[in-house]
Formats: sequence, structure tokens, C-alpha cells
Amino acid sequence: MGALLVGIGAFLARTENWRAYAPLAGDPAATGGSHEHEQGHGHKPSGIIRWLTTVDHKDIGVLYGTYGVIAFLWGGVAVLLMRLELTTPTSTLIEPSLYNALLTSHGITMLFLFGTPIIAAFANYFVPLLIGADDMAFPRINAIAFWLLPPGALLIWAGFFTIPLPVDIGPAQTSWTMYAPLSAQQPNPGVDLMMLGLHLTGVSATMGAINFIATIFTERGENVTWANLDIFSWTVLTQSGLILFSFPLLGSALIMLLLDRNFGTTFFAVEGGGPILWQHLFWFFGHPEVYILVLPMMGLVSWILPKFAGRKLFGFKFVVYSTLAIGVLSFGVWAHHMFGSGMDPRIRASFMATSLAIAIPSAVKTFNWITTLWNGRIRLTAPMLFCIGFVSNFVLGGITGVFLAAIPVNLVLHETYYVVGHFHYIVMGMIAFAGFGAIYYWFPIVTGKMYQKTLAKWHFWLSMIGVNITFFSMLLMGYLGMPRRYATYDFNPALAPLASVELLHQVTTFGAFLIGLGTLVWLWNIVQSWAEGPEITDPDPWNTKRDGLHGREFAWFEEQLAADGKLATTDGGEASDASRGSSELRSDGGEADEEQLATDGDAEEQAQPTDD
Amino acid sequence: MSDRIFDRETLLDLTVNVIPLGILVFFVGAYAFIGSFPDDPVIVLIQMSIIVLTGVALSVLTYFSGKAISGAENEMDDYIPAGYSEADAEVAGVPSEPESDASDGAE
Ligand code: HEM
Ligand SMILES: [Cu+2]
Repeated sequence: MGALLVGIGAFLARTENWRAYAPLAGDPAATGGSHEHEQGHGHKPSGIIRWLTTVDHKDIGVLYGTYGVIAFLWGGVAVLLMRLELTTPTSTLIEPSLYNALLTSHGITMLFLFGTPIIAAFANYFVPLLIGADDMAFPRINAIAFWLLPPGALLIWAGFFTIPLPVDIGPAQTSWTMYAPLSAQQPNPGVDLMMLGLHLTGVSATMGAINFIATIFTERGENVTWANLDIFSWTVLTQSGLILFSFPLLGSALIMLLLDRNFGTTFFAVEGGGPILWQHLFWFFGHPEVYILVLPMMGLVSWILPKFAGRKLFGFKFVVYSTLAIGVLSFGVWAHHMFGSGMDPRIRASFMATSLAIAIPSAVKTFNWITTLWNGRIRLTAPMLFCIGFVSNFVLGGITGVFLAAIPVNLVLHETYYVVGHFHYIVMGMIAFAGFGAIYYWFPIVTGKMYQKTLAKWHFWLSMIGVNITFFSMLLMGYLGMPRRYATYDFNPALAPLASVELLHQVTTFGAFLIGLGTLVWLWNIVQSWAEGPEITDPDPWNTKRDGLHGREFAWFEEQLAADGKLATTDGGEASDASRGSSELRSDGGEADEEQLATDGDAEEQAQPTDD
Repeated sequence: MSDRIFDRETLLDLTVNVIPLGILVFFVGAYAFIGSFPDDPVIVLIQMSIIVLTGVALSVLTYFSGKAISGAENEMDDYIPAGYSEADAEVAGVPSEPESDASDGAE
């Protein structure tokens, strides 16, 4: 608790600093104008003060990204501990109570502290560049939204910090869904702290969403209209709408739960509103939440994949309209998470109908990506590999979702590892993959450096193989009836094939460690290349100009390079930088071996959009 | 341009959202005519409104976004593809024509 208070104190002190700095930037909250911020950006203080006081969308993007990566690492460590425990049916390594705590922390961390922030990282950095805005509409609200997140994380993880202390506060064991009555009755104050932390992250996400909506509506540059808004900004806009309508609801439900826990109200007690009320409220937020996480990532892939297929995104408008359709439909499907809860079968049937309908726009996007690849001049750079992995994993993740949306199937597979396999194909196989792809793709812009190509490919293949081993065996375990969220599975072998389940658990653990290894490779690559990689002087590191696919963000990068006097004069001959390191340090873009993948005759043809 | 709200091109783009709508309509019909559960007006009202309200919301959003997009399209003289600056588009020799013509016709 003490450490927490010190942390909060430190945070408030920072806020003071930041206020002292703010007058530099005029009063953008009142004017919403963009000229004022330019001055602010002109004189950035240096060192740590810069990062604590920044209102520049790019810096805030980097802050979000760093935060998301830290959360990803913690969530990863938590799950690897759990996977180790699950290699044997009995409890060997950690107490079941610690298992439950890690499970809860893994879920909440990955969804709220990694997923949402990592998207905010890309959106903050690149949406203003892509739409030609000087900055976000409300730069300081942007900073506030970010700075709500660190205290949120401290609160969410608080129960772990207090384990060594002589206080009666432990980590929450509610799982990420916090179902009543369990969550209402566990006396541990760590649960309250976690909910308060969640509340902060919800406020942060809502502020960010309002900011994005305002930015995309009002700050678009000349020539950027609804007809040619880029696909990533479309998905961020839709996601922001989803956040706006769902996160405040989560906030209210959390407050009701806190009241139930601490002030004797009965919102979710059997004699009051009932535990099912919590499920309805939670999933009315929870299903949109999964699309909040996946839509912008679909936007990233729709933006990046065409660059390495040498042609424009096929059926751009289809992708836009199906994004909007997913946005609306995702508010009508929430009870497919509750088919087993005993609600009226007629109402249950309705949620099956809406859930089947939402599969269509999702599938439309998949077909658009595949068609974009068709006859394209494919270049298998690291960002492209992650995009293709994303599409491939979506096929499995999406189809298993449609199966689960069928009531009879759901009643068999609900609460088994099948569900865990389904959504991990999506959250790890798509959301994390798109994140990695985008980090590689924009690495030159953000860091001015190039990453190491060989390591990036190791990262991809370790992750891709790891994901498919891990989560496919989860699907199989689900078919065998292995229930989710158990620390042990020492059941009677007469009930289910214990030996197969144990083997599959071990395979799953193996796969999880492959993913972990890949992530370490990635971390090393990013850190080392950022610190000592070759500087980028070519404004077109991906050779997209010749296809007419050079985006606004790289045009901005070109201006930056020119302003700094770093622009390579003629073609992108980076040979000078290659002297710095071994061949490993070479850039990923436009190299001979990749060029050769293309059949030259075709290439020219594909560059020109065909007319009929 | 004709006096219709959507030209043919836009209508074609909008079909993508008509399919999920069609699925919703199908289920409304199926549940209304071949449902085997006993009638309870309140439950049936809830049952139908979940599907119908979702469908209505989808139609409304599709309509307004379609209008905004095709309206913006008609006002533009030079079409710059989504996400690219004018200079870029010129350097790259991207033709100034609506995206849908270029990409949908690419087969
Ligand atoms: C193709 C569209 C999809 C359909 C039809 C679908 C359907 C379902 C269904 C029916 C369940 C409930 C399974 C059960 O608990 O018995 C479920 C669970 C889940 N889905 Fe999906 N899904 C789809 C896409 C997605 C996407 C895109 C994401 C993530 C971005 C996602 C994330 C999840 C999560 C996190 C859960 C488990 C929640 C929990 O109980 O902890 N799904 N899905
Ligand atoms: Cu769902």
C-alpha cells in the first residue's frame, strides 16, 4: 500500500511538472486549433522531462508502445509459469491459488494493458500522419489518457506487489470475467484494487477514443475526405465508436460490483439483480471489446499487406463497409458467451442469429486479403510474413468462433479449452501478429534505424509454429472435454482420456515456450537495432514507390529526412551503412534476394491497376 | 449524376452489408414461422427485437456512411487513393479515378 501511495504521489508530482510546461502550447482545449501545438513541439525539453511532459502525438505513441510491451512481457511470464504447472496433472510447481491469480492477471493484462494500449500506440503515432493532421485534436487530453494507465497497471497488479508484505492483500483470483457471485464474495481487497485499476484504464481508453473521433472528424488535412480516408484510420474510428459505447458500461458495472462488495448493495446478489445481470452487463461490454482489439489490427494488415503484394487493397470499400458492419453487429451478439447460463431458449436463438451474421463481414475481409495477394508480386519481408500469418490464423480463429456460435456445439464445448484455443488464435495469432508486423514495418520511421532481417524471420517462424502448436492442441483438448481455468487435471481416467490430455498439455507448453523464445528474439532485435542498427537514409525502405503505394506516413518520413539533411541523394544505396555490421544487420527492404522472388514481367503489369 | 441517392457503383459496394442483413431477415422469418417454442408475447418481443434492432442499426449506419462516402467522392475532382498524398500519387502515377473502379474491376 505504501509503495502504491508513493507511486500515486510521484504521478501527481509529474502532473504538476506537466502543467508548468503546458502554457507553452497555448490553449488547444479551447481552440482545438493545430497551430499552437507546433510551438510546443519546437522546444522539447530533453531527457526524462521530455517524456514526462510531452503532448506530441508521436511521443505519446512511443510511450503507449513501451507500456504495452512491458505489459506483454509480464503477461507472458505469468502464462509461462502456468504452462509449466500444467505439464503434470497434479499440483507441483505453484499453489492453485497462485495459478488462479496468474490466470486472472494474464487475461486482464493482455486485454487491457497490452492490447488496447498497443493499438493506441500505432494510432497515436500514425493516424495524424495518415490523415495529414498536425497532431491529435486534444493533445493534452491525449497525454492525460496515457498517464492514467501506469497507475491503472499498478492497481491491477497491486495484489502481487503485496505478497511479500505482511498485509492481508493478495492478487485477485476472479479471472478476467469477474463473474458474480465469486467476485462479489471474495474478501480479498486486492480484488477492489484491481477493479479500481480497471476503471482507470477504462477512463483512459474512453478519453483516447473521444480524441480519435474528434481528430478524424475535424483534423483531416486537405484532400482527405470520407472517400479516401485510409483503412487504418477507418478501423480506428470504428474502434473508437465501440469504445465510446462499451467502456463506460464496464465502468458502471464495475462500480456496482464495488458497491456490492463494500457497501452491501445487491446489484448482483441472488436476492437483488442476480448474478446473470453481471454476465449481461459484462458481455455487452466484453464482446465489443474483442472487436475493439481486432478491428484496428485488421486495419493495419489491410494497410501493410498490399505494400508487399505490389497492388492496392482489393475492394477497399468492401473492407470499409464491413468494418462498420462489424462495429454495429458486435453490440448485438453478447449473449453468445452465455448460452450455458439457462436463459430463455428463444432469446438464445436470437443471439445465435446475430452471431452468424457477424461472421460475414469478417469473412469478407479475409477474402479481400487473399484476393489482394492473388497474382500479386509477393515479397516475403518480416512485416509481410506477419500479415500472412495473421490471415492464416484468422481462418482457424474465425471458423472456430462460428462453430461456437452454434448453440448445440456451444453447449458441448463451452468452458473447455476449445474456447481458449479459439480466442487465442485471434488474440495471439492475429492481434499480436499484426502488432509485430506493424512494428517491423514502421521501425524505420519511429527509430530511424533498420531491424535485423534474419532475427525477424526467426521471430516469425518461432511465433507462427508456436502459435499453431499451442492453440491447435488446445482445440483438441477441448474436444476431449478438458475444462478451462483449472490448475490441475488429476481426474479419473475413466471419465476422459487422461493420458492424451496430459500429452496435449505438454505439447501446448512446448508451443508456448516456442512463442516465448520468439518473443525474446524479437525483443533483442528491437533493442539492439534501435541502439546500434544502421541509420536509414532511404525514404522508401520498402520500395513501395514504384507500385504507387508510398503512403503519407512515408512521405512525411521523407520530409523529416530531408529536414535533417539525412536524405540519400539518388537511389536508396545503403551500402555505406552495411559496413557497420555483418550481413545480419542488413535492412529488410528491397534486397536482391527478395527482388528475385518477383517475376519481372509481371511486376510492371501489376503496378498498374487494370481497367476494364 | 442521377437524382438517386446512390449510384450503381455505391450500391454495389453496399451489397457487402446486405448479406448479413439478409441472414438476420432469414432468421426472423424462420423463428416467426417455424419456431417450435410456445408463444409468450413478451419473450417473442425480446427475441425479435434483438435481431431487428441490430439489423436496423446496421442499415442506418450503412446508409449514412454510404451517403457520406459517395457524397465526398462526387465532390472530389482528382481522386487521391486512400492514405496517399497528392504529390505521392502524382509521382507514382496513380490514376486519378475512384478506387472502386480500379480495384473492383481488377479481375
Ligand atoms: C467470427 C466471429 C466470431 C464469432 C462468431 C465468435 C464466437 C464466439 C463464441 C460463441 C464464444 C463463446 C464460447 C464459449 O464461451 O462457450 C467466443 C468466445 C470468445 N471469443 Fe469469439 N468469436 C468471433 C470472433 C472473435 C474475435 C475477433 C475475438 C477477439 C478479438 C474473439 C474473442 C473471444 C474471446 C476472448 C472469447 C472468450 C471469452 C471468455 O469466455 O473468456 N472472438 N467467441
Ligand atoms: Cu463474443
